[in-house]
Amino acid sequence: MQTISVSQLKKHFKVFKKAPGLGATFRSVFSRPTEIISAVDGISFSIEQGELVGFIGPNGAGKTTTLKCLSGLLYPSGGEVKVLGFDPFLRNSNYLKQISLVMGQKNQLWWDLPSLETFRLNKEIYDIPEKDFEKNLDELLVLLEVKNIISTPVRQLSLGQRMKMELIASLIHRPKVLFLDEPTIGLDVVMQKKIRDFIAEYNKRFNATIILTSHYMADVKQLCKRVIIIDHGKIMYDGSLERLVEKYADFKIITAQLRSDKVDKKDFTKLGKINYFEYPKVSITVSKKNIKEAATILLKKFPIEDLTIEEPEIENVIRMVFTKKKT
Amino acid sequence: MVVSNSLQEYFAYRLNFILWRVRVIVSILISFFLWQTIFKTKSQVFGYQQSQMLTYILLITFLNGIVLSTQTFRVAEEINLGTLSNFLIRPFSYFGYVMSRDISDKIVNTFFSIFEIIFLIIILHPPIFVQTSVYWLGLFFVTFILAALLFFEIGMMLSIIGFWSRDTWAPRFIFFILVTFLAGTYFPLDILPKPIYSFLQFLPFTYLIFFPLKIYLGQMDSFFLLRGLGIMISWIILMSVILRYSWRRGLKIYTAEGI
Repeated sequence: MQTISVSQLKKHFKVFKKAPGLGATFRSVFSRPTEIISAVDGISFSIEQGELVGFIGPNGAGKTTTLKCLSGLLYPSGGEVKVLGFDPFLRNSNYLKQISLVMGQKNQLWWDLPSLETFRLNKEIYDIPEKDFEKNLDELLVLLEVKNIISTPVRQLSLGQRMKMELIASLIHRPKVLFLDEPTIGLDVVMQKKIRDFIAEYNKRFNATIILTSHYMADVKQLCKRVIIIDHGKIMYDGSLERLVEKYADFKIITAQLRSDKVDKKDFTKLGKINYFEYPKVSITVSKKNIKEAATILLKKFPIEDLTIEEPEIENVIRMVFTKKKT
Repeated sequence: MVVSNSLQEYFAYRLNFILWRVRVIVSILISFFLWQTIFKTKSQVFGYQQSQMLTYILLITFLNGIVLSTQTFRVAEEINLGTLSNFLIRPFSYFGYVMSRDISDKIVNTFFSIFEIIFLIIILHPPIFVQTSVYWLGLFFVTFILAALLFFEIGMMLSIIGFWSRDTWAPRFIFFILVTFLAGTYFPLDILPKPIYSFLQFLPFTYLIFFPLKIYLGQMDSFFLLRGLGIMISWIILMSVILRYSWRRGLKIYTAEGI
């Protein structure tokens, strides 16, 4: 059975439009034109148990809205959502006990109290037996290396420490399904890495199903075999990362080091698209079928010192997916 | 657990709390001295003896704590800031949580109000009316619990407006003005002209303060008592139906903003 199945999910928001200026403000007191925005516009996908799937898309693409529908916070305007066999919006407590939603920019910890108090509160909320609680907590504390700050009031913790505590609070009931929304946002590179390793470990150790949204490609690259790309509320790609590169990147990047600057920039354009040309370096995007020919021509006709052929960066591929759709 | 955490949080904001208590005491003192002055020349005003009236005023402190103290306005904040989501994604009753938060608020306020009443009695030496009948005391207990429930429902209703509108303070503010005048927190409602008083008996406000206090004073025949209880309970049921319905409707358009 699929852990998560979503079919034709839609979510519309009604927003008030107000023109800028004092006059418009006065007018808006009496009549407010509204506009319907489709944050999620008919998406379908399904996820198996134990999968770690990355949700990618620009701001406002509908990633977070989808996660909120999956965790039962939002009432779908259309379509069907099933997670672990439950309809999330009904918020059955047996369902809620098996999931967790972590928001990188939001906290559930009691601000003025030590994190331990929040953990204990969650223990009560999720009905965790004392023994399991101790065991889970200990495991998480060790994994995240935060045993020493458990009694510090939350407001005195650094952002990174707080994120770790948030994770513990969200995982103390050992959820089977985990929705992570920007878990590494605002953290420094070292801390990002630690959180990533932790997520991978959690996924492996408990065979948990995880959906992760992130702006940081590094998160996705390291963690997710499968990615779902959404833009304007629609799915643009759903599949493995490698296939994404194959499918959308029908090109490679040739970077060459020149021996002399006696070349004409125009000559390069015959081979492919020039990414940049700053003597002595030139980088050209060449379609896959022409790659051999282009390399041969380069070596024969230009004063080349060194030459490399690379797959494009995933960031660029994804950017391409978005631009392709628009044009 | 929630109660204990809320209490801990409470004392982290001592100043806020102390100022709130001062506000309550000052408003009681004003009413107290006003009535004491009025009773200087008369022994009975509007059918109240001095001891009854001053007891009424003093007990308002107590009922302020147990009935009118609330944290339900935070529900509106939670809806608008999106922090409500933190509660919705967990397997527990949000209403239960909000209720325990209110109970802890009421415990603290009532606890202090008892001290304040004792303090006021000691320094002012007012003539007071002590109800000794178990019957009236029992009814008093039942009605102030019901009053607290009714007030909780109204408070929640005002907060749920947050699903539809950002501004929940305006309705709440109007409501508080209504409560202070129509619930009898300044004077017993039956000193008002008869038609107004009769009309007020059909509104929920009357049952928040005036009705329980009137019962404490034992000034009530069984017809008035039964009709009052009937209206009060009808309001509680009606409000709970409306509340339940609007909560469900609200959740459907809840946008979980800010996160």
